Amino acid sequence: MADLALPDMSPWAGLWRRGRFGHALGEPGLDIAESERGSMALMSARRGRTPDLARAAQDLGLTLPGPRAWTQDRGFVVLSTAPDQWLVRGPGSFSELAAGLEPLAPFAAVIDQSHARAVLTLSGPRLRDALAKGFEIDLHPRTFRPGDVAVTVVAGVSAILWQIDERPTFEVAVPRSMAGSFWHWLSESAAEYGYRVSTHDA
Amino acid sequence: MSDAIGHAGPVGSGSGAEAPERAARVTPNSPVAGAARVQPFRMIAGGQIERRPLSFGFDGKQYQGFAGDTLASALLANGVRLVGRSFKYHRPRGILSAGPEEPNALVELRDGARREPNTRATVAELYDGLVARSQNRWPSLRFDLMAVNSLAAPILGAGFYYKTFMWPAAFWEKVYEPMIRRAAGLGRAAGAPDPDLYEKATAFCDVLVVGGGPAGLAAALAAGRSGARVILATEDFVLGGRLVSEQREIGGQSGPAFAASVEAELASLPEVRILRRAGVFGVYDGGTYAALERVNDHVALPPPHEPRQRLWRIVAKRCVLAAGAIERPVVFADNDRPGVMLAGAVRTYLNRFAVRPGSRAVLFGNNDDALRTARDLQDSGVTVAAVVDPRPDALSSLDMLSRETGTRLVEGVVERALGSRAVQGAEIRDARGEAITVPCDLIAVSGGWQPTVHLTSHLGGRPEWASALASFVPGTLPPGMAVVGAARGDFALASCLADGIRAGSDAAAAAGFHPRSVTIPSADAESTAVTPLWRVKAAKGKAFVDFQNDVSASDVEIAHREGFVAVEHLKRYTTLGMATDQGKTANVNGLALMAELTGRSVPATGTTRFRPPFTPVAFAAFAGPHRGKNYRPTRLTAAHGWAVEHNAVFMEAGLWLRAQYFPHTGDKGWRDACDREVLAVRERVGLCDVSTLGKIEVVGTDAGTFLDRLYTNTMSSLPVGRVRYGIMLREDGFVMDDGTAARLEPQRYLVTTTTANAVAVMSHMEFAAQVLWPDLDVALASVTDQWAQFAVAGPRSRDVLAAVLRSDADLANEGFPFMGAMATALRDGTPARLFRISFSGELAYEIAVAANYGDGLARTLMAAGAAHGIMPYGLEALNVLRIEKGHAATGELNGQTTAGDLGLGRMVSTKKDFVGAAMTQRPALVDPDRWALVGFRPVNPQDPIGAGAHLLRPGAENKSRNDEGHVTSTCFSPTLGSTIALGLLRRGPQRLGERVRAYDPVRGRDTLVEVCAPVFVDPEGVRLRG
Repeated sequence: MADLALPDMSPWAGLWRRGRFGHALGEPGLDIAESERGSMALMSARRGRTPDLARAAQDLGLTLPGPRAWTQDRGFVVLSTAPDQWLVRGPGSFSELAAGLEPLAPFAAVIDQSHARAVLTLSGPRLRDALAKGFEIDLHPRTFRPGDVAVTVVAGVSAILWQIDERPTFEVAVPRSMAGSFWHWLSESAAEYGYRVSTHDA
Repeated sequence: MSDAIGHAGPVGSGSGAEAPERAARVTPNSPVAGAARVQPFRMIAGGQIERRPLSFGFDGKQYQGFAGDTLASALLANGVRLVGRSFKYHRPRGILSAGPEEPNALVELRDGARREPNTRATVAELYDGLVARSQNRWPSLRFDLMAVNSLAAPILGAGFYYKTFMWPAAFWEKVYEPMIRRAAGLGRAAGAPDPDLYEKATAFCDVLVVGGGPAGLAAALAAGRSGARVILATEDFVLGGRLVSEQREIGGQSGPAFAASVEAELASLPEVRILRRAGVFGVYDGGTYAALERVNDHVALPPPHEPRQRLWRIVAKRCVLAAGAIERPVVFADNDRPGVMLAGAVRTYLNRFAVRPGSRAVLFGNNDDALRTARDLQDSGVTVAAVVDPRPDALSSLDMLSRETGTRLVEGVVERALGSRAVQGAEIRDARGEAITVPCDLIAVSGGWQPTVHLTSHLGGRPEWASALASFVPGTLPPGMAVVGAARGDFALASCLADGIRAGSDAAAAAGFHPRSVTIPSADAESTAVTPLWRVKAAKGKAFVDFQNDVSASDVEIAHREGFVAVEHLKRYTTLGMATDQGKTANVNGLALMAELTGRSVPATGTTRFRPPFTPVAFAAFAGPHRGKNYRPTRLTAAHGWAVEHNAVFMEAGLWLRAQYFPHTGDKGWRDACDREVLAVRERVGLCDVSTLGKIEVVGTDAGTFLDRLYTNTMSSLPVGRVRYGIMLREDGFVMDDGTAARLEPQRYLVTTTTANAVAVMSHMEFAAQVLWPDLDVALASVTDQWAQFAVAGPRSRDVLAAVLRSDADLANEGFPFMGAMATALRDGTPARLFRISFSGELAYEIAVAANYGDGLARTLMAAGAAHGIMPYGLEALNVLRIEKGHAATGELNGQTTAGDLGLGRMVSTKKDFVGAAMTQRPALVDPDRWALVGFRPVNPQDPIGAGAHLLRPGAENKSRNDEGHVTSTCFSPTLGSTIALGLLRRGPQRLGERVRAYDPVRGRDTLVEVCAPVFVDPEGVRLRG
């Protein structure tokens, strides 16, 4: 076992191939890629310490977003997922992320979720039409904008959805174990418009 | 073809002014007479159709229609008027209507797996290659043997089932029911899986407009111009509603041209969405509406990747209901003969489809709207033989018509339709009582219009009777809904438009927009006066109220005579208003007849309320994409692919798929694999993916206190680096789940749950943290998906782990004893968590890594274990191993057992409070007679024991009063070479050594077994501490 080196296997591995699928004519309606894996932690404010946590985060250069919103500061993406609870994403390993959040430890519990969720980046002109086939929330630009987060359910799979830009680009995180079921739903819903899978290791 | 004149021509081309010219073209010498022969009842010009020929088949015969036809209009264009047989009497039936209310013209559409029964020909859009078949006839539509039912009609009346099939009672199931089932029903289900895709989708809007007629178009335009998000949903495949069926003018434009111009503007508004072929069929709480979009019902096969139908959930701030109205037939003798058609439908076929539904017509109506049919018939070259109206002086407006054409104008009624498979004439009785027989092949009939109020009553609203209109109008409305135009009883075109604009503007304003003023276009005025006429009595013939259910006027009389006068009784006794059309053309007439019989008013007799769906919706649409294995999501572990490569057979455990066993070539059955896997664990080492067990991290200064209040035993005293087994109770004192708690850090615990209860335990803990004890500092997160975890079990497990863990990991008994926990790493530095816990009773560990590394870890452990004879094992072996050790699992954690029942009474602390503590002291829960966990071995070791078998004393009668417990888990133990079982037995632990019977009537077994301790292997627990 001297040469042991466990491969970092994507939750999407084996589910898809790079390429163009579904309706074949014209520009694809959706572009689909795996998001940068990085690390992810659930950060919960200790009981009654939310103001202290917000202040300590401020000192770190992080803005804790209010309900249903996300922010990006100093390489961290912070998504509000419940009252006094955030999902924090960082570019490196979980231990790096945890070290970065260390000053917040007196005011927050941090739990590793780096491999618990499979995350996709979605964009394209027909993205909202495809999402409407499962997400039962209003994603119209008048009601859902870049910076917004929704914690919801799609096709029986719990999901966190947040909007990146107005192209529109969204990211979606689903439980790792349900990546296959989510992908089945997404690929079927996108097929009518044609979709392109462009991802690092596909 | 050069005959598109007027079809897509200039404004006003469809109006009456040009019609005589159209009629004149219908001559055998016309240059396009060839086309006329193919579709003999199609007019040469006009209509809102595209004259692109489409071929279709009906009952095996090929016909031609045009794009824009419905199956009904195409059949009529070909002179096909007999299209089906009725439900009960198998009477010949034709096409009554031109819309979704059709009760008669139900056909089987398509072939094979796509065969779809009871499709209304009036809404089935024609496509090239369409195949349809008539229903409820044998051997053929023209000659149907079951029509003998008609002869038996006198005994087949209302309540016939209840009276005829009463006795003998023994015949109910064996004779009567199969007989009734064979004779009843329409159409045949496909009987094969539906090969097409169905989708569900959600849409949000400020204003939902239901209906694409003049009122709906006006409402959508007014709302749309304000910038509001508008959805206009119409069941039809064209917009316009009655505008495309009538010869009307709006602001100098023809009706269809006006509709087209509004449609063009709506299409140009970015926030307006037009859903064609999308009928709104239900209203639900919170401004939620359901619509079925028939995306690809109008083509032979859906294009690749496209659904056939899409079920819309529409959430709207405001709704404008512009659903129009449904015309009522008049109840007269033999009014169901093919060729009796609603007057409005006649105008639709003439004006929209350029089809003459007959050659010689009698018009019978009680309202001014119906009289306009006479002019449209004339304009289309149909001879109007007579116009019959019971209202004094109503016919004066038609004097000119009669002078020009010799049409008889009769103040009177049509008493009876003549003919059988087609109308051959009308028996008329005039105001002086004279009988007149007029030959004809079409009777256009109108009893007035009933507003389509269905959606207004889906949330419980009760329609109100409007005497002046002789119809029901909407009563209390669902929140946020406004009703406009004909749907609220305002039938005049000009007011439909004005009403629509007003309601559209109001709805947009209520949704927060500033509507701009919209000019109301002028429309020619018309009279909509009506005088009620429900029924014409005649000496002969059956007068139908509900065509689809064969309910006649005499059935209503029977119901009255036998006391079923309440509207709900009337419905159930006669079946009036049941089946796929839900009495759209029948309910009001039925009520009015009962009102006449009881001498009460219609509203005093009753009101029909409606439930979704407005029109039939296929189950496939409700299921959407969630069919078969996609009924619900499937959860796969990180190492699923590894198990697949090892030939695993999987089984469902909640949403998870878990390896059940790993068969080898030459195995005779699953038992071979299971026995092999069990022995590998007992003798060498086995590997099992246990990632599916629930894993919850509990973090905070109060984490220990929190767990103390949830578990029956104490967790706050657990040292860091140690694991403790625990059980949680429900509030009622029964065991909810079992698992382990590991203290990873002073303020960080990891608790595990069973696979089955993972979600329930997480909810329970969230509830406790948020509601019961909000003062405790504790944070929770499910980490089930974060970690891939494997049990490495067996005497060689330590050797296997030593080969993969980094060299400083101390696995020796002293450093890492039973129930130890540590954070460590693999040789490549991958962080890992290691637990020395054992479900199998052997020396065993569970090792966890972040999920992305799970597949690699499984392969690494297999490679490291090869020298030790490692073998993957599945749920079957896991189950045998735990039964051999007497561990409780699903069969024992059945929601009816206490900790004491399971032999875990010593784990229930009496020194602290916890969820369920108070209830554990209930007398019934501490009753010494309770059934408690013990083991069983058959006296003959090879005898099988079935789970669920009742435990009886030898010699006791097989009665439930003698029941002393049941078997909960059973298996063949390859370790002992014997069947073994666990079960709950009255005072079980005090009866060790006693013999009882495992009586299993389901499997036909009665096995003598000996009661024993529930731990069959290594009762001292030497191995797991080894």
